[in-house]
Amino acid sequence: MAEPQERHYNIERLNMIFALASCVLLLALVWMVADDYSREWKNYQRDFRALEIEKTRVKYDYAENELKAKEEYRSLGDHLKEARKAFDANCRSALSAGAQKKLAVEDDLLNQKYKFAKAEYDAARYRYETAKANGGAGVGQAQKELDETGLKLASLKSALDRSSQQLADQKKTADACGARLKDLERQERAFLQKINIFKRKLAKIDPNEMNFTNRIADMVRDLPILDLANPNFKLQQIVLKDIPEDLNFAKVPTVDRCVTCHLGISNPDYKDAPQPFTTHPNLGLYLGNNSAHPLDDFGCTVCHGGRGRGTDFASAVHTPSSARQAREWEKKYHWRPLHHWEKPMLPMTHVEAGCFQCHAGQTVIKGAEKLNLGLNLIEKAGCYACHEIDRYKNWPKPGPDLTKLGSKISKSWAYRWIEDPHAFRSNTWMPAFFNQSNTNDPQSVKRGEQEIHAIVAYLFQNSGKPAAILEENSGDFAQAEIPSAGDPQKGKELVASIGCLGCHRIEPLSQDQPATRDILRREHGPNLVGLGSKTSNKWVYNWLKNPHAYNPDTKMPSLRLSDQEAADIGAYLVSLRADVYDKTTIPPVDETVLNEITVDFLKKTETEGAARAKLATMSLDEKLSYCGLRLIRQYGCFSCHNIAGFEKEKPIGTALTEEGSRPVERLDFGFVPIDHTREAWFFQKLKDPRVFDGGKVKPEDEKLRMPNFHFSDEEAEAVTTALLSFVKEVPEAKIVARTPRNLAIERGQQLVRTLNCQGCHIVEKEGGAIQPSVKEWLVNYNNTSENEAGAVVPSFSPPDLIGEGKKVQSAWLFHFIHEPTTVRPWLKARMPTYALDNGELNDLVQYFVALDGEDALFEENIQGALPEEEHQAAEKLFGKDYFDCAKCHIIGSQLPGGSPENWAPDFALAKSRLRPEWILKWLTNPQDLLPGTRMPTYFDPAGFDAAGPEDILGGDERKQIRALRDYLLTLTQQPGDQPAQPSADHP
Amino acid sequence: METIKHFINTVCRPQIIFPVILAVFFFIFPPTERLLAANKKLGLYKLWTQKGGIALFCGLILAFVFGLTDPNFTKIVTKPDNVPIVGLIFLIVFFVWFSMKQAWENDARIAQGGKPKEADDAKEKILVWPDLVYIEFIALILCTVLLILWSILLKAPLEEPANPTVSPNPSKAPWYFLGLQEMLVYFDPWIAGVLFPTVIIIGMMAIPYLDTNKKGGGYYSFAQRKTAVSIFMFYWLVLWLFLITVGTFLRGPNWNFFGPFEPWDIHKLEALTNINLSDLVYMTWLKQRLPQNIFLREIGGFLVLLFYFGALPLVLAKTWFKELYARLGPVRYSIFIVLLLLSVSLPIKMFLRWVFNIKYIIAIPEFFFNI
Repeated sequence: MAEPQERHYNIERLNMIFALASCVLLLALVWMVADDYSREWKNYQRDFRALEIEKTRVKYDYAENELKAKEEYRSLGDHLKEARKAFDANCRSALSAGAQKKLAVEDDLLNQKYKFAKAEYDAARYRYETAKANGGAGVGQAQKELDETGLKLASLKSALDRSSQQLADQKKTADACGARLKDLERQERAFLQKINIFKRKLAKIDPNEMNFTNRIADMVRDLPILDLANPNFKLQQIVLKDIPEDLNFAKVPTVDRCVTCHLGISNPDYKDAPQPFTTHPNLGLYLGNNSAHPLDDFGCTVCHGGRGRGTDFASAVHTPSSARQAREWEKKYHWRPLHHWEKPMLPMTHVEAGCFQCHAGQTVIKGAEKLNLGLNLIEKAGCYACHEIDRYKNWPKPGPDLTKLGSKISKSWAYRWIEDPHAFRSNTWMPAFFNQSNTNDPQSVKRGEQEIHAIVAYLFQNSGKPAAILEENSGDFAQAEIPSAGDPQKGKELVASIGCLGCHRIEPLSQDQPATRDILRREHGPNLVGLGSKTSNKWVYNWLKNPHAYNPDTKMPSLRLSDQEAADIGAYLVSLRADVYDKTTIPPVDETVLNEITVDFLKKTETEGAARAKLATMSLDEKLSYCGLRLIRQYGCFSCHNIAGFEKEKPIGTALTEEGSRPVERLDFGFVPIDHTREAWFFQKLKDPRVFDGGKVKPEDEKLRMPNFHFSDEEAEAVTTALLSFVKEVPEAKIVARTPRNLAIERGQQLVRTLNCQGCHIVEKEGGAIQPSVKEWLVNYNNTSENEAGAVVPSFSPPDLIGEGKKVQSAWLFHFIHEPTTVRPWLKARMPTYALDNGELNDLVQYFVALDGEDALFEENIQGALPEEEHQAAEKLFGKDYFDCAKCHIIGSQLPGGSPENWAPDFALAKSRLRPEWILKWLTNPQDLLPGTRMPTYFDPAGFDAAGPEDILGGDERKQIRALRDYLLTLTQQPGDQPAQPSADHP
Repeated sequence: METIKHFINTVCRPQIIFPVILAVFFFIFPPTERLLAANKKLGLYKLWTQKGGIALFCGLILAFVFGLTDPNFTKIVTKPDNVPIVGLIFLIVFFVWFSMKQAWENDARIAQGGKPKEADDAKEKILVWPDLVYIEFIALILCTVLLILWSILLKAPLEEPANPTVSPNPSKAPWYFLGLQEMLVYFDPWIAGVLFPTVIIIGMMAIPYLDTNKKGGGYYSFAQRKTAVSIFMFYWLVLWLFLITVGTFLRGPNWNFFGPFEPWDIHKLEALTNINLSDLVYMTWLKQRLPQNIFLREIGGFLVLLFYFGALPLVLAKTWFKELYARLGPVRYSIFIVLLLLSVSLPIKMFLRWVFNIKYIIAIPEFFFNI
């Protein structure tokens, strides 16, 4: 008998609680599965699928309509119907279906029988062979069996052959009968080919186009848990084995899952689709299979940054371009900054920073305009002088030499200049050190005044002294007297014409002019406004005559001016004065403040008492000089300028080679309320370098020292892009190969940049910055109307150097750059003489050669003598009746008539200057080599064979061109013609 | 509002809160008769009643509600890493209150000559099946539900792969080790990381042999075991859980101390200049330079230690712990007193650090021997 058991709890109630708890557990589990199943990217994939169906349907409809509109297709339908009817009527009845089927069955049966017989025969053969080999027992029996099965096999084989033949015959008859139908069907298939592609695709993705079973499968495969097999909606990823991601303890391949949501990124059909489906804006350069950066090889994060493994908006570490966008994203995508990821995506404003990783070697990164501008600004501002940047190792100091400055400027000018360089020249690259946001309180201003006095004193005390280390740069600037007084008016015209304006400007410029690389080229050298307030006529004269005597490292070339020209230009330039600037008052030297500064410096190595004692022994000059030395070291003036006594100093700034990878927490934001991102910090720093001292209490010598370059917003943004691009880890496998050719181009580009070739010439389709100035000259001095000037500017500007490597002989180019000669006498602008060494000259020549893909430095040898017949033919072509070459071209001393803007280069130079192969191509089609050239196209490429005159050399155009070329190469040797003298000095 | 927050921030500074806790603790958990009398006089025992419990919880909840109006407090408290510690605070308060309530109730019954409540339970009989198993199973289900919901609603705070060049600031140990990490502030690693953990384990193993009080077995009681409970509560609540809470919520970047309403400013600077005992002896008191001889230099510290571990046990045996000495006998007493003094050295050192800026009692960095 069961006793009623003792209970502590009411079991009925526990049952209830248990039931309730179980239900809650079930609900929690359901929630868990649902939570795990629902992913942001699945929604995107669903949306994309709808979009894909829509797009495919549109395409399908379009293709269908197009097809239906085709006459051939419609008539084909009629024919097909007809042919089917005919087939049914004629062929089908002709082949009695029953008989054919019977025949086929018989054939199959025979075939089967044959296979059995064959197997039996093979087995019998084996038995016979083994019996025989084993010594004869049973050989007779085995042989008998073999013969029997062999006979059976043979008879079956012949029966089978007969039956197969019969079948084949019947089929042939049927085929012949249905040949027309088949042909028509093939034609139909060809028509439907395109449409069928869409149809098949729709059947795959559109449930409405699927058959019943597929539709069920389509639904089931994406259900929770069942989706483990092969779901429609799944992660898409690109695995890049050759670009490892450094996890500090292990390297793993980069995995980019961006394409999980950015589904249309490499598909041109989605240009107008909403994000995240939008096509990449530049498929020609990126992602396309034939582009330079195919998607499967480069992925996304390699260039863009971000976290490739992230599969939702925030975890992919998207970076907003502005605070407004950040707020928008927070609302729309639950975006939040993910501070654990050190390589966040580059905001769109700085997206070009990604290019630099692999293209760091290239001077110009084609297509990355903002980055290029940023890099150019870094070069112009000379950031690399104080901050070590790998790319700019061995670049020259950006500022002028100060070892002889006593001969050039006055102390008061130097004071005013250091105090506020932008007051004298609004767009100077000399930055402002004083009166900045952390030094504009009255006390600091006072101190600053005395600091400037000290720096000026040091510079002037050490000017012209033989420096210990730079022997060749020691001593003072020996200045010759100006032989005759210059004419400022003439000087002005010369400056406007001979090419000074390729690098210099002589007009006050507002600071808010747009920043472009072209404008930077025009401002390669200092703006010459107010030069008269700065230096003397004599100094300018001597400088112009030989800049390298004053500073052997100067970038200023010589324009081979005559004494009179130099005097004229000097007279003009010193007539430009900045009177307001001259009148600013200079506070006197204040010894009390100076004492304070001196003691502050002395205290660094000595106790206060000793410092005071030492101070008492110093004269005012000594104090100035001592403070000057210490201040120049503190502010790093020597980084940009050669200053006596600082030959061995190291740069004072933070190294920037890996600045773009610097962890944000290592940037001191001080109390400045900006976003804590690298880009925000860089931008703020560039706009106001001292801003992060705001609100801090610091002794004078611990204050931030970076000077203010007065960057515009646009410039600061470009430099920020460049700074972001200086990163630590780069995808080694993708770096642009450093082949000899690429290296030659890189070296050349660097020279082109530092020498500012593009200030005058167009090189690599960029440059020609001088052209606006040439136009002004034409209007002001050459009586050309505004419109006309615009048209002829290219003729009066230094030439476009496109294809220069193909065009001219390397030896000629080498000598020409070394010592320029006149090629185009009508040009007023002169090719300057640079003090280049042999290495640099060779680099330039190799650059042009490499740029045009030429590998031979030397041209083929052409024999001078020309067969008589060809000589005559060429002379005819050359003459007035045909091409009349001398109408434009100069031949030695013989100048063509007409106005100079129509003149063309000297034939006498052709033999030594031009590559013979190039002349052939040039004569064949000049527009091909130099689009827009004024050289007429005598041999129209459209109808080349009929282009040349029929009566010369049998009308063979190729022969004509060759003869003409060979003739041109003889022109220097013609008796009576004087070879053209280099007349650069007197064009 | 801001004034209140500022007041709380100030009070939470260790220099203040730690002495206050030391002072208040022994009134709440009185180890001696006199303190027990004081406790009763002040009515502090009323905490361990139904009303006291409600008040305690209401106070705690109100404190959090008030705190959540502040963004800094909210940010720190709702960080996924820190949420368990919030739970820990509530659970600890509940269980301490629950056990103390039963103990005081039993004490009252015994004082009236009755038996503790547990005596009512049937003897030698536990209803395992199905009663116990059933409720355990239900508890298991509910815990599973809790964990699932927690994992859904509060995503695991996983971060990116560790980078040896960028250590997080502050770098914190797992929550259960934060007490040990806090000890590192006051002692050298060999003491805080090796000696103390070892002594803690040995000490806990020694408890059954040292505690010869047979009362209080099988039922809750405070009055009968007040010294034992008080000592335990001191280590458990103050030196372990309090330090974990401090380490979680009040230690910010650079291991600086931050009030609960103070923003965690990575650049915060605190004047944390500490001196050694020898500096205090020679420079401040005797006004002379430190002697060259290491032993001579640290003689003050050695004397203090000698007194602390050598003389103090004897003195205590004659005075405060007279009764205890008589009960335990010399061997047990020695072990007990050494363990006690060792463990009391932690709060003493903390107190010295916070209030007098003492760094080391004995500082011989030449041999890495600092106490």
